Amino acid sequence: MNKNIKILIVDDFSTMRRIIKNLLRDLGFTNTAEADDGTTALPMLQSGNFELLVTDWNMPGMQGIDLLRAVRADPKLAHLPVLMVTAEQKKEQIIEAAKAGVNGYIVKPFTAATLKEKLEKIFERIEASQ
Amino acid sequence: MTNETGPLSEDYIDRVRTLAQTIELGDTAEATRQLDELTSLREKTLYQELGRLTREFHEALQSFRLDSRIASLAAQDFPDARERLNYVVSMTAQSADRTMTAVEESMPICESMEERAAALKQEWGRFTQRKMSPDEFRDLSRRLGEFLDSVSDDALRLRANLQEVLMAQDFQDLTGQIIHRVVQLVDEVESNLVELIRISGQGLAVENQEEKKEDRIAASGPPVPGVDTGTVAGQDEVDDLLSSLGF
Repeated sequence: MNKNIKILIVDDFSTMRRIIKNLLRDLGFTNTAEADDGTTALPMLQSGNFELLVTDWNMPGMQGIDLLRAVRADPKLAHLPVLMVTAEQKKEQIIEAAKAGVNGYIVKPFTAATLKEKLEKIFERIEASQ
Repeated sequence: MTNETGPLSEDYIDRVRTLAQTIELGDTAEATRQLDELTSLREKTLYQELGRLTREFHEALQSFRLDSRIASLAAQDFPDARERLNYVVSMTAQSADRTMTAVEESMPICESMEERAAALKQEWGRFTQRKMSPDEFRDLSRRLGEFLDSVSDDALRLRANLQEVLMAQDFQDLTGQIIHRVVQLVDEVESNLVELIRISGQGLAVENQEEKKEDRIAASGPPVPGVDTGTVAGQDEVDDLLSSLGF
């Protein structure tokens, strides 16, 4: 796992962004950036060289599910790994995210161990497909 | 107020003309009688108008009460809102508890490290000042080794506790989402009250509020036990659901 990859953390609550940033730091990922909504995240993704997107679902401007769809629809971003970290846990929502092409789905409240596990799984799959 | 039909107005005009003539003729008794007739006719019309308005207002009020959205606000959403806020209280209490437990476990670890380090430092001082025998030094050496091992363990435990404190802050995001949802409910009740004030002020019919169909994919914030349904019960169930679909 290349720990120098650029990661974008998107959540409208700064507390949650901070928690995820610290957890990633503990796992060795220090190259992180933050956005507080899908609307601010999308331009950042389009102009930056991000290799992982970690996003919430429930955000006021553009929801995480719509951000995911926008990413998959953009030819430059279509293969960006996306991990959703969210409190939304209705079955229909989880299925919708899977259909939209999410690479991992973590429900809040979560543990540091779960984040580590899901990240490893995502990277395993990436390395396997290369 | 000129909603009278044609013939009625003509009737009024005739009566007024007749009344004017009667007054000119000086027949006070007859004039008074005609005036009384006119007055009682007018009163009847007024009562009819008042009756119509009262009926309209009553019907508007009825439809307002019977409106399904209003009924469900009272029967469902308010109890839901109460549950949500109670849940927020218990989440914040839980989080504070978690944080304080982590702190209470960490304090003794730090204190113990401090004490042992202080004691060893003193003896190390004796060694550097060449006031120590070889036997004593062998003993010090052993205890230094033990101390270094324990510091390593202590540091790990402290890190774990600090991470626990970090994770305990997740309540802020979750309670924030729940409270936001209750605020939306408050907004809706506010606009309903404004509507009620409006109809009671004008006696007009109320537009029917559209029934909110639940969009199962729209974001709704963290599920509150006992209030929200159709959710999975934790990360394991999420993983099971996804792998059952082949992801």
